[in-house]
Amino acid sequence: MAGRPVLRGLVTEGLRFRVVDAKGQVVGRLASQIAKVLTGKDKPTYLPHVDGGDAVVVVNAAQVDFTGRKWDQKLYRWHTGYPGGLKERTARDQLAREPEAVLQKAVMGMLPKNNMRRAMARKLRIFAGPEHGLEGKVELVPLDMPPRALRVKGPVLELEEGFEPFNPEAYYKRFGHRLAAAKAGQ
Amino acid sequence: MTRVKRGNIAHKRRKEVLDLTKGFRGSSSKLYRTAQQRTIKALTNSYKDRKIKKREFVKIWVSRINAAVRLSGLNYSNFQNQLKTSKILLNRKICSQIALQDKESFDKLLDFIKI
Repeated sequence: MAGRPVLRGLVTEGLRFRVVDAKGQVVGRLASQIAKVLTGKDKPTYLPHVDGGDAVVVVNAAQVDFTGRKWDQKLYRWHTGYPGGLKERTARDQLAREPEAVLQKAVMGMLPKNNMRRAMARKLRIFAGPEHGLEGKVELVPLDMPPRALRVKGPVLELEEGFEPFNPEAYYKRFGHRLAAAKAGQ
Repeated sequence: MTRVKRGNIAHKRRKEVLDLTKGFRGSSSKLYRTAQQRTIKALTNSYKDRKIKKREFVKIWVSRINAAVRLSGLNYSNFQNQLKTSKILLNRKICSQIALQDKESFDKLLDFIKI
């Protein structure tokens, strides 16, 4: 969300700016962490009725990622107000048209829905590219994403030569990806 | 029977209610009948909210402890678990105050329970 000037609408006195690079990050997980920082929930001075969060600057927002098939399956929907005016657009299209909106919508959905929501959202500045206009203007502190705890998957049931899976549908549904990845790795 | 004029008895009764409605909007602080309804609501709410206030503060303390503890690599649930197993009886209010005002002691507390 690049306005000109970038810091429009913000009182920078006492505000801490955090930078994060969205390249390769998963949208929802990044948005969750950003929302936490915006609300101030990472500080021991948290108060629910006061906006004590930091400002967040996101770069490379056009290079976020979705897991699974969401690029094709996830739909952004909106209604124009006219009858029959329900419109939709896939995540891929949304990224092409307005890349900042993908992360913006995600973060907005994760902020508390109260009177402070807009003020918090104003502290979020998203840039599709690698540049933000803030060098030298404010002090920037990196926002570190917490380590991602991936599920430890069980062992793949490998079949010896000559044996066919008893239930091929279930077998390939469960192990298909990992077998293909192992084969590609070899 | 001698004639009895009611005097200012009714006025005193109504004034007691109207004194409770200082600062209320519009006719709720001026007219007795609306004021009566507003005071009943207000007193009920204040009764309920005295109890809710205690819950609200616990929520704030928990959020604060969670934030403070995550700076040291823990999270709130594990912190509480280790606190209980170490038989430390500090409550959330005190823990959040220590985390806020005396970081050294809070770090020592974390070291103590991590063992």
